[in-house]
Amino acid sequence: MGANLSEMLADLQENQVIEAVKERLAKGEPAIGIIDELQHGMELVGTRYQAQEYYLSELIMSADIFKSATGLLGDAFKASGEKIGKIVLGTVFEDIHDIGKDIVSIILSCNGIDVIDLGVNVPIERFVEAVRQHKPDFVGLSCLLTTAYDNMKATVEALDAAGLHEGRKILIGGGPVDETTRAYVKADAFCKNAQEAADMAKKMLGVN
Amino acid sequence: MAQASDLYDERLQRIKTAVALAKPDRVPCVPLGDSFAAKLVGEKLSVFCTGRPEAAYKTMIRAFTSLGEIDGIQHAGFDANMLSTIWLSKVRMPGVDLPEDNLWQVEEQELMKPEDYDVIIKDGWQKFTDDFWLNKLDNLGARVQPFFASMPAAMQAWKDLGIVPFSPVIVTIPYEYFCGARSMREFIKDLYRRPDKVQEAMDVVMPVLVEQARQLARGLNLHGLWVGGWRSASEFLSRPLWERFVFPYYKQIVEALVDEGAIPVLHWDSNWTRDLEYLLQFPKAKCVFSPDGATDIFKAKEVLGDHMCIMGDVPAEMLALATPEKVTEYCKRLISEIGPSGFILAQGCDIPPNAKPENVRAMIASVHQ
Repeated sequence: MGANLSEMLADLQENQVIEAVKERLAKGEPAIGIIDELQHGMELVGTRYQAQEYYLSELIMSADIFKSATGLLGDAFKASGEKIGKIVLGTVFEDIHDIGKDIVSIILSCNGIDVIDLGVNVPIERFVEAVRQHKPDFVGLSCLLTTAYDNMKATVEALDAAGLHEGRKILIGGGPVDETTRAYVKADAFCKNAQEAADMAKKMLGVN
Repeated sequence: MAQASDLYDERLQRIKTAVALAKPDRVPCVPLGDSFAAKLVGEKLSVFCTGRPEAAYKTMIRAFTSLGEIDGIQHAGFDANMLSTIWLSKVRMPGVDLPEDNLWQVEEQELMKPEDYDVIIKDGWQKFTDDFWLNKLDNLGARVQPFFASMPAAMQAWKDLGIVPFSPVIVTIPYEYFCGARSMREFIKDLYRRPDKVQEAMDVVMPVLVEQARQLARGLNLHGLWVGGWRSASEFLSRPLWERFVFPYYKQIVEALVDEGAIPVLHWDSNWTRDLEYLLQFPKAKCVFSPDGATDIFKAKEVLGDHMCIMGDVPAEMLALATPEKVTEYCKRLISEIGPSGFILAQGCDIPPNAKPENVRAMIASVHQ
């Protein structure tokens, strides 16, 4: 039964997942077990994405099914789940592109990282406040526009000035981001894609 | 000194030789830079980007005639409202929604609802878009009309300077329109939740788009047209979805344009490396594949080199941050490894507004060295 729910989610069988969750709740099964299986389903999605069987299309669909299914479980979901690390993530100020950032958010979540997603067009002070408040292991900065490099750089500088860079890594990514960009904005690493972000984060956390 | 008309013929021949996969006397250079042109001449983006198309193409001409000898220009003019016509999305404008010198940005918003597929199927594409332009895109038709009206004069102005306006019009497939109007997240969910409905609507839209593309090619006597792709890139979609909702539609529009004697310029942003083999189904030596730096252009050469001209792909990040020496080095690699036959040098996608002028000069100069 348990494996089925994970597989159903990984196979994007939306109706079956929702029906199965409702049925099991009606039978009085504890939410925590259901959550574990749904999370395992998202891990399978991540594995298939890594193997290039799945693409953004499947990430978006699976994340939506996951959201609907866990929505049926109420507060139990919010209290659940062990996380291996935490990231404050956002698209930098004056850039409203969210797709790349959202892919990273899904993949990191699948890999057990708690994602504090600040959205797009995030003012520098908001990154600083969020890092101060959430004390993440990582800060993830995304952009699609080359004109956003300077705001990315200013965000790194503001975190440096607030003493919030120490003890955590700043990762950057996005269409026009490469090693030259990393050097320019003085981030710790750049990630070519979402999977590389997850692999890098896990490596930095010492997790296999 | 050569007459402009002689230069034009010589440069057009150079481009056509490359498209035909033969070896021109040298690799042609056909760039594009709209916001970059405004920055170069010191014009605010809010002033450049909308409402004054004649001034905009003159700004582009002023910029590109100061950077070295180019063979052609991809777009003859610019108005940011034009982006709304191909994305069916609102565009945040500098000076209106953004600070005066910020780059315009397409807004991700669900303006089209799932029930609109039925409206398209029942009433047709023309009626749907007329209504959408008027009511969802704040009377887009009135805002974009001056740009369309300026096109013939813009093309002639470049031609008078001996520069080929190579692909001044953009056409695309139903996927891109629907994805822009629905928002990417909602549209991708549609592909799972109501795939037959999406396909039925696409099949209603497609003949209209093909006919429009044919008429544009004919009416403006175009050498080439951009066949745009951005959200339908291979990197965003699993192959079964791509095979069903993307490729067959590109094939139809490409074949129609070739039939009209026009060159389809596959201006494809993001990463299409996975599906390059499919492009072998397009007519040989009649198209241009124009990746933006995300697709592996060297892999494209390996797969398509004997079949299709390749154009590109000096990346935006290199033009913005690297040195002229690095740009020259990359361009020389492109010229020798992707060219010298069947290759046109250009930036990937569009030259960004913060490109260093000396880097753009280095790119253009590299074909003359």
